Parts: sequence; structure tokens; C-alpha cells
Amino acid sequence: MDAILECRGIEKSFGGVHALKKVNFSLHPGEVHALVGENGAGKSTLIKIISGALSQDRGEIFYLEKPVIIGSPRKAQDIGISTVYQEPLIYRELSVLENIFLGREIKTRMGNIDWTEEEKKARSLFESLQIAPHFIKQPMRDLSVGLQQLALIAKALVYEAKVIIFDEPTAILTEHETERLFEIIQKLKERKVGIIYISHRLEEIFRIADRVTIMRDGEVVGEHLVGDINRSKIVELMAGRLLVEEINHLGKKGEKPILTVKNLTRKGRYYDIHFDVYPGEILGFSGLVGSGRTDIAQTLFGLIKPDNGEIVYQGKTISFSSPEEAMANGIAYLPEDRKVQGLFHILSTSFNISVTVLKEISSRMGIVHNSQEKELGKKFVKELAIKAPSLDSKVYSLSGGNQQKVVLAKWLGVNPQILMLDEPTRGVDVTSKSEIHHMIASLAEKGIAVIIISSELPEILKLADRVIVMHEGHITGVFEDQDITSENLVRAATGERMLKTKGSSIEEKNL
Amino acid sequence: MTANLQIVMKRREFTVLGLILVLMVIFSLSTEKFMSVSNLSNLLLQLSGVAISAIGMTMVIITGGIDVSVGSILGMASVVAGKLLMAGSSFVIVVLSAIATGFGIGILNGIIISYGNVPPIIVTLGMMSMMRALMFQVLGGRWVSGIPPDIRIIGLGKWLGIPLSMWITAVLVILFSYFLSSRPTGRAIYAIGNNPEAARVSGVNLARTILIVYSLTGLLVGFAGLIYVARTGIVQTNTGSGFELEVIAAVMLGGTSVFGGKGTVIGSLLGAVLVGIIKNGMVLMNVPALSEGLVIGVLILISVMIDLIRSRGESL
Amino acid sequence: MKNIGSHIVENRVLFLLVLFLILFGVFAFSVKGFFTYYNLTNMTQYGVELGLLALAEMLVILSGGAGIDLSVGSMLTIVAMIIGVLIGRAGFNPSLAILIGLISGSAMGYANGFLVAYPKIPPFIVTLASLYVYKSLAMIISVDPRFGPNPMPVSNFPETFYFIGQHRIGGLPFQVLFIFIPVVLILMFLMNRTVLGRHLYGVGSNETAAIFSGINVKKIRVIVYTLSGLLSALAGWVITSRIASARPDIGTGYELQAITIAVLGGVSIKGGEGTAGGVVLSIAIITMLYNGMQLAGIHQIWQLGSLGLVLVGSVLLNQILYNRRKF
Repeated sequence: MDAILECRGIEKSFGGVHALKKVNFSLHPGEVHALVGENGAGKSTLIKIISGALSQDRGEIFYLEKPVIIGSPRKAQDIGISTVYQEPLIYRELSVLENIFLGREIKTRMGNIDWTEEEKKARSLFESLQIAPHFIKQPMRDLSVGLQQLALIAKALVYEAKVIIFDEPTAILTEHETERLFEIIQKLKERKVGIIYISHRLEEIFRIADRVTIMRDGEVVGEHLVGDINRSKIVELMAGRLLVEEINHLGKKGEKPILTVKNLTRKGRYYDIHFDVYPGEILGFSGLVGSGRTDIAQTLFGLIKPDNGEIVYQGKTISFSSPEEAMANGIAYLPEDRKVQGLFHILSTSFNISVTVLKEISSRMGIVHNSQEKELGKKFVKELAIKAPSLDSKVYSLSGGNQQKVVLAKWLGVNPQILMLDEPTRGVDVTSKSEIHHMIASLAEKGIAVIIISSELPEILKLADRVIVMHEGHITGVFEDQDITSENLVRAATGERMLKTKGSSIEEKNL
Repeated sequence: MTANLQIVMKRREFTVLGLILVLMVIFSLSTEKFMSVSNLSNLLLQLSGVAISAIGMTMVIITGGIDVSVGSILGMASVVAGKLLMAGSSFVIVVLSAIATGFGIGILNGIIISYGNVPPIIVTLGMMSMMRALMFQVLGGRWVSGIPPDIRIIGLGKWLGIPLSMWITAVLVILFSYFLSSRPTGRAIYAIGNNPEAARVSGVNLARTILIVYSLTGLLVGFAGLIYVARTGIVQTNTGSGFELEVIAAVMLGGTSVFGGKGTVIGSLLGAVLVGIIKNGMVLMNVPALSEGLVIGVLILISVMIDLIRSRGESL
Repeated sequence: MKNIGSHIVENRVLFLLVLFLILFGVFAFSVKGFFTYYNLTNMTQYGVELGLLALAEMLVILSGGAGIDLSVGSMLTIVAMIIGVLIGRAGFNPSLAILIGLISGSAMGYANGFLVAYPKIPPFIVTLASLYVYKSLAMIISVDPRFGPNPMPVSNFPETFYFIGQHRIGGLPFQVLFIFIPVVLILMFLMNRTVLGRHLYGVGSNETAAIFSGINVKKIRVIVYTLSGLLSALAGWVITSRIASARPDIGTGYELQAITIAVLGGVSIKGGEGTAGGVVLSIAIITMLYNGMQLAGIHQIWQLGSLGLVLVGSVLLNQILYNRRKF
């Protein structure tokens, strides 16, 4: 049968970053085509192009054998390409029925909304999917996430979707809901709907997909029928053979851990977390976005309260209730989203650098010593080679790399004992990236305990002395020395339990 | 059946209705005058202006906005109606001009908010003072009184013992309930308040819908201004000042959330009745009129708190 | 790479200066009695109360989170009444009464701040409600049972009480020299040189980043609204002393003027941007505008009316400047 959707030679760049390189992708009616790859491999960019949220720089998309320019999510929906997002786009206070039909109402001859007709249609839709439609008059907010998702699938069918894109649909579902979703996907296949299915759970792909496309670094590195491939081959393709030049730092790892985390649990975020951090080491946290890495860092930083467990820092059990407190005790956290969590855009470079250390550079009455502030700014501009016209330059006028250096400077100023870096080089140019990496290594040399959270495998491989891998809130692997390989990290990140390495204190407790 | 009953009982309208009944019992037990025909019809007369304006404010707040200029729109419409009546214009001209005045001001609000992207509180605050100045200019600092009696039929006339203005209110409430519940544009108003991004993707024209909402609010308040003139027969420079608070209070008490996306015209009508009864009862019980702002302000805060507690409870 | 941001700020001050000079020129040439030493020094006293409220509004709007304080006029009124009733009817020592007034103003501001920061009620709702609550309380306080149930102004103050509002030094009003200028200097110092000031700008420009930088956002919010109450209370004291009467309707409409002056002075309604210098210039312009209009015989309601236009116009201007930037 011919393809409903075909992408040929799609290219896309963001600034200097080549996100998609000559990507080909096709979808047949009644087929589930899985799309897999590490974070940053280019899946989301491709999906955004297909669903109209972005447009490609080069390449063509054929829909029902005709070339199309999709252009907007609205247009995509209108021509029959619907997306079920991970975080559903819903109207909380409106009924399920209305969520399905809003923007595409069935009208009476008078132009009124024909509620009876809409209800009839929705009921028959749900019944054809073998779901009892008892909930269609309830407001969306009263539904579980699983039911909300079903409503959005029904919405896609109202729009007569021929292509439905599922973006990690099971990430938020319970086991039971997942089963039901798979049954519905089966029904959709019978209706000859083509499905693009993104998931990090490889076992799901073997259950429901017909074909799988594997992406890495913006390229398609393999397209196989599911019957022709096995799990380890997929992992191998996802990981690739990364040639990474390691940065060695000479610092000695301390004898005693500076921080020990025991039994830490926060329901819905992470479970039963154990690990130690030593002064002078770089500890990597790998795994997918949303696997609980960031939540753990934010817990140590006083932003999230754990339900259970113990954090021992410098020999004392601690529980910080605010970042203020964590900072005062020498813990720093560079957040993952520079734009939202890191920068004060409309304020000066010097403000952004000094904001965390105002207490140290001010008198007891709270008066800031301008000269000290300026010196601090100058010092970091020099040390981190920040390119800014002046210290008074507003941060929004700097490049991404320089902005990131400013955020880094803000945290270096507090002279932390533990420095947690969440995606420290996201959206940063190559030169700045390398500079930041060397900076991180030299910090460890000075005896700081560095925790680096990164979705980029090369970054972890390059810097980390030890790596903890997380999957859906659990630690699934701890690796050291020669065990830190891209394949091991990807296997653990996709959910294989690999806690079999020697030497770490975690392993004993977990086995 | 019991499930349905529970849903009804959980609704905000039901709580407000209950509160109204409780207050009516209290006031009729503590003052003899409350239940008298003249007091009740006076009460209905007074609250019709608030109720009609509250219809518009309900839509505004559902989109997540606010309109503090309704008091001055009411004033301006009254001035126009009063001046024309004094000049001997015909009934139809007067009615149309008053409504057109409100509509025009509403359109102006709507354009600056939707296309100029200026926060509603700023636009309507600015509009309020401009309108007050304009009213002063037109009136020259004097009152308009001795308005010809034929217009007063809207305010004082009765049908089946119920003031005409209340009948008009009822018609408008039904009309706008229908608009908000059955017309695609009406539902788009809710969609914007719930999730503007999703609404945009579903093809809702955000700017146009916002413009419609503020324009219709102006129109409705223009109508309320007409009723005001017809009822009191007097227009002065400060006519309608403080009126916005009563309207906002009625809408919020009626269950429309300041966080947007939720609310009904019926709820706001009940809210207007509640505010009206409180004001009326306070007068009858000799509570000084001065504490009106105090009571209404506190009521507004209480109803936001209820919303907050309710939405927190859900998210847990 | 030119530095666009600071240019806009510079332009704003420049823009205001030019506006000031033009207005000054127009009034000096066309309005009789404007360009006299007496008028120029005398009119400054009228800017004090409004100026204090505008500075209060500046702090609140600067702190971001859709910050706005609609209750400044009511807080001014109620403090005026508290001071008036305590001195005029209860016979308190003026200093004590003033102190009580200032404390009550701060407490009312604190209540606003608390409701904004902790239960997170939108500021326009909190302060709209408190506008009416405080106004209503002011009227209740003003009732003198000896003369029936109606609100009554208080005007029997001892002579010493008028000192602050009516005394002059070298023609310059006392309240300008000893209240307004010191307040401006303190605020400038606070905003530019202290940790609190930095935190204020930080919270205003990006609340999330402020939380992640260890700034106590709630505390800053509460402080800002409390200061707004204190500044309104100061204005309430000064105005009572100047007009020798505490009136229960005195602050009506002030909120609009205060917000307008702050916004015209370059305070961004989105928060995080604005300077005391810009606001002071804006106060000067508006004060002069009022004075010129008054001398030219234009009714004062038009002061308010034109301000409404200025408010919407200057927010539009700020918005356009803001949109031109790239993030």
C-alpha cells in the first residue's frame, strides 16, 4: 500500500545547530511506526515539523501523495494530522464532549451547537473504540490523565485524522491505562489510521509497532521492521560508537563522601534513591528528561520536599526548606532552563552575576559595595571569557553561550562545596561548550564535588568519573571507569536494571 | 438520581441560592419592611442594572480579564439618555443612543485590549477617568433632573406586578445564557479562559473574541444606564461611581472564577440578587450605608478564597 | 553591538526631560502667572502627596507578578481620618497620632501584601477589594455620633500640626524639603545600593529565576505592599496638614493618577524595570501640567481625564518598546 505520509530530505537548523540532516520518514495506513532515539536525537524536531509547529528549512512532505506545506498546528489538524501530546492540551473546566468538538462544532441549521448530535457522534466514537462513554459530560478536570488522553484521541478521530502522532503517551499512564491505550491503538490500525509512536520504553515498541526508525544526532541511523531487529541492536544504534575525548582532571577524590543520600523517595518523582558524592569528583546523572534526575537535584537544593529518606551532608542530617538555606550551606544548583529559571533578562550582566552573593559583598546594613560588585563581575568575565560589551549590558543581548557562562558565574560566586549542573551546555555553541567543560573539570580539581545532569551522552562520557543512570524515578545503573560506555548508559536509561558494577556503595544496598 | 442531585448541590449557584434564602429569612424576621411588596419591587428594580451589567462582566472575567470602567460607562450612557430626554428626543432615539454609547466605549476598550495588547485593568482604569471627565464636560457640573415621565415606564412600569426592568433582565439573562452555552462564539469565550494556546490551535480567533466580549459588556452596561435614568430620573457627574464593585462582586459571588474559564450568567444573576439583598437588608437593619464597601469588598475576597481552596483541593 | 536596553532607559529620561521643558516653555509663555518664583515654588507642594503615592505604585508595579495597588487612595484617606479623629476628636498628642497613622497605613499595606504573596490572589482583586474596604472604614471612622450618622470631616487641629504642610523655607514648602526629597533619596538608595533593592528588581524581572537564586520572593512582595501602605500613610498625613482638614473622600481617584505617573515615568507594567529618577520627573511633569491647566482655567476633572489618556498611551508605548527587543 502507498504511504499516507512521506518526508523526504528534511533539514532543520537552529542557529548553528544542525538538528535534522536529510531525514526520510514514511508512514503507511494502518501502520504503527515507532520513532526512537536519545534526547536531542531529533525526534521532537521531526514531529514538530510534521504537526505544523515548526517548518523545515529544506525537504518536502508528501501527504496522500501530494506535496504539502503544513505551516501551523491548525492546518495539520484540518488536513488530518493530529497529535496527542505528552501533556494534554485541554480545557480543564469544559466537558469532555466540548473538549472534543471545540473549534469543530456540529451546528444546527440555526447555527447553534447541536449538543445531541455531538453527543451521539461522541458516543458512537467511544463505543467503536469499545470504551463506555459514561464520562463525556463531566468536566475534563475530573478525569484521570488516561481518560483525558482518550478524549483527545476521540478528538483526533472527529477531525478524521489519517495520521495520529503519539508523543510518549504512556509516560503518564498507569499499567491498566497503558493496556487500554494499546487496545485502542489496535482499533485505530483497523481503521487504517497511520500512527507515529514515540516512546523510550523499548518493550512497548516490540508489542505494538510494525516498523521502527532509529535516530541519532539528527540523522536516521536505521529503519527496520520490528520483526527484523532486537532490543540490543536498537540500543546499539541509538548509542552509536561515540568517540569522545575525555577530559581528565587531576584532582584527588576525597576519602569521605561529602554527601550521602539514603532511601530518598518522593512519590511520583523518584523512589528509594541511594548515592554518595565525594569531594573532587564529577558524578554524572544520566537518563531521560523526566526520569527524576532534576527532581533529586532540586530536593538537595531545598525546592522539593522528599516524602522519605535521609540526606547527610558534611556529617549532619539536613533538610533544607529553601534554596536560600541550601546556598548558605554551600550547595549550588544551575537549573536546566536558562531562560526561565536562570536569567534576569532585562537586567545587567553584573546584576546577574552578583545576585547570589549580595550578602557577601554588602555591609551588615544590607548596603551593596559597588566596587566589590564590579570586581566580582570583572573577575568572572575574565575567568570564564564572557563576551559582553560591558558589565552593564543587559543579559538578553548576549549570545546563548555567554548567557550560560553568566549563569555559571552566578553559582561559582557562592564558592559551593557541591555544585549541581543541570544541562550545563544546552543550546550553547561549540566553543563555549568546550570552555564550560574545561571549567567544570578544573572545579573538580579544586576539590568541589560536581554533580552533572545531562541528556547528552558525549558530555557525560567526557566528564564524569562515575555515572548514575535513572529510569522513571529509579536508579537503574551505576557505572565507573571502563564501564562508562554509551551502550551501558542507553541500556540503563531505557529501563534495564544494571546495578552490577563493583565498588559503589549503592550496589550493596540495592542487591 | 442521587448522583445528579449531588452534582446540583455541589454547584456554586446552589450555594448562592441557599444563602439568598437564609438571608431573606433573617431579614424578614428581623425587619417588618423587608417582605413588603414595595420593598421587594424596589429591590428588584435596583438590582436589575447590576444584573444586566453582570452578564457582560461574567464574559469578561471568564476570559481572564476585568472591566473597571462599567461604572463610568453606566454614567456616560445615563448622561446621553438624560440630555436627549431633556432635549425632547423620541423614546426610540433615546434608547438607541444610550445603548450605542455603551457599545462604542466597549468597542474602544476591546480594541486597545485585544489588538494593542494592553492589560485590561490599565485600559479600563484609563477609560474610567476619561469618561468621568467627559461626563463632567457634558453636564457642566450640574445635575439633570425633571426628566420627562414617559421614559420612566422602563423603570417604574410593571407587568404582572413585577417591574418591567426585571422582565428585561430576565430576557437578557436567557438570551446570554443561550449565547454562552449554545453558540460557538460563546463557547470560544470559555475556551480562551481555559487555555488560550489550545483555543488558538482549535482555530478560535482570540483578538476578535476578546473584542466581542468587551463590546457586548459596553452594550449591556449602556442598557443598564438607561434603566438607571428611567428609575431615578436624575443624572449627576458621579452617577455610577462604585457601581463596578457591585458588578464584580455579583459575578464573583456567582461562581465565576477570577482565574478564568468558568462561570455562568445565571450564577451572576443570583450573585446580583445576593448583593442586592445584602445592601437592602443593611439599610433596613439600620447598618450605616458607609459599611457597604466594607461588606462587599470582604465578600469578594471570601469568594476568591473559596475558589482557591477548591482548586487546590482538586490538584491534590 | 549597541546596548539597546540602556538606550531605552536613557531615552525615557531624555524623553521626559524634553516633555518637561516643552510644557514649561508653553506654560511660561502662554499662561499668565505661571513663570513667577512664587508659583514655581508654591506648586511643588501639590506634587508631594501624589508623588508619594506614585512612588508607592512604582515599588509595587516593579515587583512584577501583575503587581498593582488600587488601594493607595483609600489608605491615604483612612490614615488622614485616623490622624484627624485622634487629634481633633480624641485629643491625642499630634506626634503620637501621626505615629499611629503611619503604623496603621503600613499594617493595611501588609494585609494587601500578605493576600497577594501567600494565598496568591491576583493583586488587582486584592487591592480593588481593599480599596472599598479601607474607604468604607474611613467613612465609618469619620462619623461623629454627636452630629448624626453622616461622615464628617475633622478640622480642629492645633496650630503645630499645620507646620509640615504649610510652612516654608525660602519659599519652598516644608513637606517638599523634609518629606518628599528625603523619601526620594531613601528610595533611590534602597533601590540602587541595597540587597533589598536588587532583590526587588530580580523578583520583578523573573520570579522563577529569583526563586532559583535563593531570593525570598514572598518576603519581597510583602515588603513592597507594606511600603506602599507606609508611603500612602505619609501622604495622608501631609495632605491633612496642608489643607488643614481630614476629609473622608479625600483620596478618591488618586490610584489612577499614581499608576499613571509611575507608568509614564518608565515603570514597566510587566515588572523589573523602572527608576525612581524617571518617576520623579514624571511627577514634576504632571504637577506642572495640573498647575498650568488650573491657571489657564481648565476644570480639574480634566486633569483626571487627560491622565487616563496618558496612562493608556504610555503603557502602549512601553509595550511597543518591550516588543521590539529580542530575547
